Amino acid sequence: MKIISGLFALFMLSLPVLATEEALRFDNEAQRQLYQQLTAELRCPQCQNQNIADSNAVVSVDMRQKTYDMIMQGSSRSDVLDYMINRYGNFVHYQPPLNRYTLLLWLAPLLMLLGLFALQLKRRRQQAAAQANEQLSGLAEEQPSATLDAELDKLIEQYRSKK
Amino acid sequence: MIAEYGQLALTFALALSVLLAAVPLYGSFSGNQRALLQAKPLAIGLFIFCLLAKLALVHAFLNSDFTVINVATNSSSILPWYYQITASFGSHEGSMLLWILMLAGWTALVAIFSKGLPLLMQGRILGVLGLINIGFIAFSLFMSNPFARSLPFYPVEGMDLNPLLQDFGMIIHPPLLYMGYVGFAVSFAFAIAALIGGKFDSTWARWARPWTLAAWLFLTLGIMFGSWWAYHELGWGGWWFWDPVENASFLPWLVGTALLHSLAVTEKRGTFKSWTVLLALAAFSLSLVGAFLVRSGVLVSVHSFAADPDRGIFLLVFLLLVIGSSLALYASRMNSVRSQARYQLFSREVMLWGNNVFLLTATLVVFLGTLFPLFHKELGLGTISIGEPFFNQMFYYLTIPFALLLGLGPWVRWKQQPVKPLLGPLSLIAIASLVLALGTLAAMQSVQANLALLGLLLGAWVGLSALYELYQRMSQFGSVSKGAFKLHASHYGMTIAHIGFAVLVVGVAMTKTYSVERDVRMQLNDSISLAGYQFTLLEVYPLEGANYGGEAAEIAVHDKNGEFVSQLHAEKRFYTIQRTVMTESAVHARLSRDLYVSLGEALPDNAWALRLYVKPFVRWIWLGGLLMALGALVALLDKRYRRSGPTVSAVTPAEQANA
Amino acid sequence: MRKLMFYLPLALFLALALFLLSGLFSNPMERQSVTTDKPLPAFNLPDLMNPEKRWQPQQLHGETFLLNVWGTWCPTCNAELSYMTELREQGVKIIGLYYVLPADPVLGERFDLAELQADVSNKLQQRGNPYQFNILDFDRSLALDLGVSGAPETFIIDSTGIVRAHHIGDINPQVWRSKLAPLYQQWRQQDGVQP
Repeated sequence: MKIISGLFALFMLSLPVLATEEALRFDNEAQRQLYQQLTAELRCPQCQNQNIADSNAVVSVDMRQKTYDMIMQGSSRSDVLDYMINRYGNFVHYQPPLNRYTLLLWLAPLLMLLGLFALQLKRRRQQAAAQANEQLSGLAEEQPSATLDAELDKLIEQYRSKK
Repeated sequence: MIAEYGQLALTFALALSVLLAAVPLYGSFSGNQRALLQAKPLAIGLFIFCLLAKLALVHAFLNSDFTVINVATNSSSILPWYYQITASFGSHEGSMLLWILMLAGWTALVAIFSKGLPLLMQGRILGVLGLINIGFIAFSLFMSNPFARSLPFYPVEGMDLNPLLQDFGMIIHPPLLYMGYVGFAVSFAFAIAALIGGKFDSTWARWARPWTLAAWLFLTLGIMFGSWWAYHELGWGGWWFWDPVENASFLPWLVGTALLHSLAVTEKRGTFKSWTVLLALAAFSLSLVGAFLVRSGVLVSVHSFAADPDRGIFLLVFLLLVIGSSLALYASRMNSVRSQARYQLFSREVMLWGNNVFLLTATLVVFLGTLFPLFHKELGLGTISIGEPFFNQMFYYLTIPFALLLGLGPWVRWKQQPVKPLLGPLSLIAIASLVLALGTLAAMQSVQANLALLGLLLGAWVGLSALYELYQRMSQFGSVSKGAFKLHASHYGMTIAHIGFAVLVVGVAMTKTYSVERDVRMQLNDSISLAGYQFTLLEVYPLEGANYGGEAAEIAVHDKNGEFVSQLHAEKRFYTIQRTVMTESAVHARLSRDLYVSLGEALPDNAWALRLYVKPFVRWIWLGGLLMALGALVALLDKRYRRSGPTVSAVTPAEQANA
Repeated sequence: MRKLMFYLPLALFLALALFLLSGLFSNPMERQSVTTDKPLPAFNLPDLMNPEKRWQPQQLHGETFLLNVWGTWCPTCNAELSYMTELREQGVKIIGLYYVLPADPVLGERFDLAELQADVSNKLQQRGNPYQFNILDFDRSLALDLGVSGAPETFIIDSTGIVRAHHIGDINPQVWRSKLAPLYQQWRQQDGVQP
C-alpha cells in the first residue's frame, strides 16, 4: 500500500491533523466518481499491466496527483485523458482510440455476429428448398436420419397426447 | 539422486508417449488389433511415470534441495511445507510439469473409461493424446527442465516463493485451471479421431460430451478461484482485470461453453456436425494459444512467467504442428459432410445456434482485445492498450441479447416450437422478473434506471425461466414429485448452470453499481462511516510469521444502528527473503455485501493509511461460478453418459427426445 | 466456395502464427513516445547544485544535447554513469534531469536538498560525472510533461529546443551505437558541427 503513503507524503504532511481524513477530498460525489473512473482507465506506463489506481510506481502516483489536481480545477474527463495521451500516448488509456485500423475491434465482432446468423438463415432456406424438391418429385429418397426424425416425431407426439 | 530419478521418469514418460502415439495409430491404419490393444497399458504407464516425476520434484521441494535450480529459485527452507508443495508448480518449469501430469492423467482416464468405445476409435483417441503428450514432455525435458541442478555451486538458502503465491488460492487455482485447459485435449482428440475416421454421426458427440463437461467443470472452477484469489490477495478489491493471462483462460472457457451446447445439437439431432468439430478443435487450440501467450512473453501481463524467446519458438512450432495440422485435416475432411436434419426457425436448434453465435462473438471480442495491441504494434502503427473500458462496453452489449435468449432457450423444443403455448409462461416470467428486480431495488431504496436494474432484470429473467421450465417439465410426468425422479440429471444440471449464470449477472451488475471505496488516514480509535457501516481502528500491532514480519490491524465494524457487525483483521506483511510487501486484506463476507479493508503504511503522528470498500453482492459472482460448475457436475452424473458404446443404441428415441 | 470456407480457420490461424512469431522478437513493453518532434515543454526549475540558478527551455538552445533523466536511488542510472562519462569525454553534451522520488530511500519522506546534493556529488565522484549540470525536477513536473515513466530515460534535444528522440531504458555501448549515436550525429550536423 505504498500508493496511499505516497499520496500522503505528497499532500497530507502539510495539512493539520484531523480525525479520520480521506486521502483525497472532493467537492462532490461526481468528482470522486470521475477520479475513480479515470484512475481505473489510465494505464501505468511503467508497470507490467496495471492501472494507475492500483499501482505503486512513482509515475502512477504523479499521474493520480495530476488527475486529482485537474479534476479539482474543473477539468473534464476528456481534458484529463487528452493531457495524459499527449504525454504518454494512446498506450496510457485502456480504451483504444478509434481509427481505421482499430475500427476492426468493433466491426469484426459485429460482422461475425451477423455472418453467423446469416449462415443459419441460408441453411434454413436450403433445407426448405430441398424439402420442396423432394415433395415435388415424390421420390422421397429419405436418408436414414430423416427416417429416424420421423419416428422421433411420432413418438414425441404420442408421448404428448398421453399427457 | 531423487531429482535424477525424476528426470529419468520424465524421460521414460517421453518414450511411452512416443509409443502411445505410434503404436495405436499404426494399429488403427493397418487394422492391427494387437497394436490397438497396447494403447491402454501405454497410457496408464505414461501417467505413472509422469506422477513419479512430479513426486520427485515435490520431494526436492519438501527437502529444500537447493542444488536443484528450480527449488533454489522458488522455495526456501523456512517456507511452510504446504507452500513448498505448491512452490513445485509456482514457476514456469514446475507448472509445466503439473500441466503434463494433468494431461497424462486425462489420457489415463480416457484409457480406463473407454471400455464402451470401439477399439479403433479408442486407439485413435489415445494416439492423438499421445502425440500431444510428446510435445509437452519434450518441451519440459529439453526447454524447461525442472530437475536441472546447479552443481557444484549452489545456494545455502532458496530465494523463496513469490509472496503473491503464498496463499490458499495457489494451492487450488492452478491444478483446477490446468485440469480444465488440458481436459479440452480429450474433446480435441475425440474430434480428431472422428476426422480421421470420417464418421460424424452423433456417436462421437455422445462420447465426447461427458469429457467436455468434465473439462469445462474444472476450467470454470479454476477461473472462479483465480478471480476470488485475486480479489482477496491483491488488496484493491478487483475480481477481474481483463489481463491477457486472465483472458487466456477465458477464451477456451467461452468456446468450451459453446461446444457443450453444440455437442447437444450434434448428439440429439445429428446436425451442426462440422461446426461442433471445429469448436472441439478450437477449445483446445485456444488453451494452447493461451499457454503460448503466458509463457512466451509476447504480451505484457502481471501474471506471466519469465519470457524466453527460445521457449516461445518451441511452443509456436508445436502450436503450428498441432493446430495447423488439425485445421488442415478439418478442411480436407469436412467439405464432404452435410447435415440432413430439418428444423424450423423457432426451434431448439436455432436457439442453441444463437447461444453459439453470441459465445463465439464474445470469444472474438476477448481474442481481439487481447491480441490487437500486438497486431497494432507489429504493423508499425504504434502502441495501444485495450482494457476494462473496451471489454466492459462490448460485454454489456453482448450479455443483454445472450441473457434474453438464455431465458427463452430451454422452453423451445427441437425441430419446431409453436409460439402460442409459450406466450403464457414467458409473459408470466417477464412480469415476475420486473417485480423481482424493482422490488430488490426498492428494498435497497434505490429505484432508478441503472446497470443494477438491468442486471437484476436479466438475472431474474434467466433464473425464473430456468426454475419455471424445470417445474413444467416435472409436471409433465403427471405430478411434480414423480417428475422430480424421472427427469434426467443433465436437465437438472442445465437448470443449475443457467441459474448460476443469472446469479453471476446479478452479482456483476450490483457490484459495479453500488460498490464504494475510500482511502483514509486513521489514528487509533478513529472511525469513519461508509455505506452505512462504521469502521473503527482499534489496534495495530507487529506481526511475526514463519517467513515474514509486518503489522496487523484490528478494525471494528458497526452498522448504522450501532450494532456490532464484525472485527476485521488486516495485515501488511513484509516477506524477508524476497523483500516484498504484501497486503492481506480483511474481508467480512455476506451474501448481500462484502466489507473489505486493506492496511496501508504507517503515517506520521501514529496514523495509518487504510483502504476501505463496501461491495454489495460481490459474492454472487463466485457463487454464480460455483453453481455453473455444480450444474456441470450434476449433468456428469447423468446415467446415460455411463452407458456408452454398444449399449448406446439401446437408448430409446423417446428418451433422447426429452433430454 | 463452400469448400474454401472450411480452409478459413486454417488461414486465420496461420496469419495469427505470423503475428505471434514477430511478437516473439519484439519487446512488448516498448512504448512509442509521443513527446518527440515537439518543443521542450515550458519549465522553470532550479539547478541541483546551485538552486538560486534557475533553468528555462530557452537557456538550453544553441547546441544538440542529451537530457538524461536519473536519480541516485536508481541502480540502472548509476550503472550507466561511467559509460556516459566516456561519452562526455568524446564531446557529447549531456544535461541531467534529476528525478526526485516522493520517498527517497536515502532521504526518506522529507526532502532535504543539502543531503541530496551530498549524495549526488558522492555518486558522481565514484562513478564519473557525465553532466554539464543537473536540473532539479523536484516535483517531477517536467518529467510528466516529457512523458517520462521512470528512470533512466534519455532525450535528444536539438539546438532549437525540439525533442528529437526519447529512449526508455539505460544507455550502454550497444544502445548508443545502434540507436542514439546516429540520431545525435544527425542533429549535430544540423547544428553545423562536423562529426
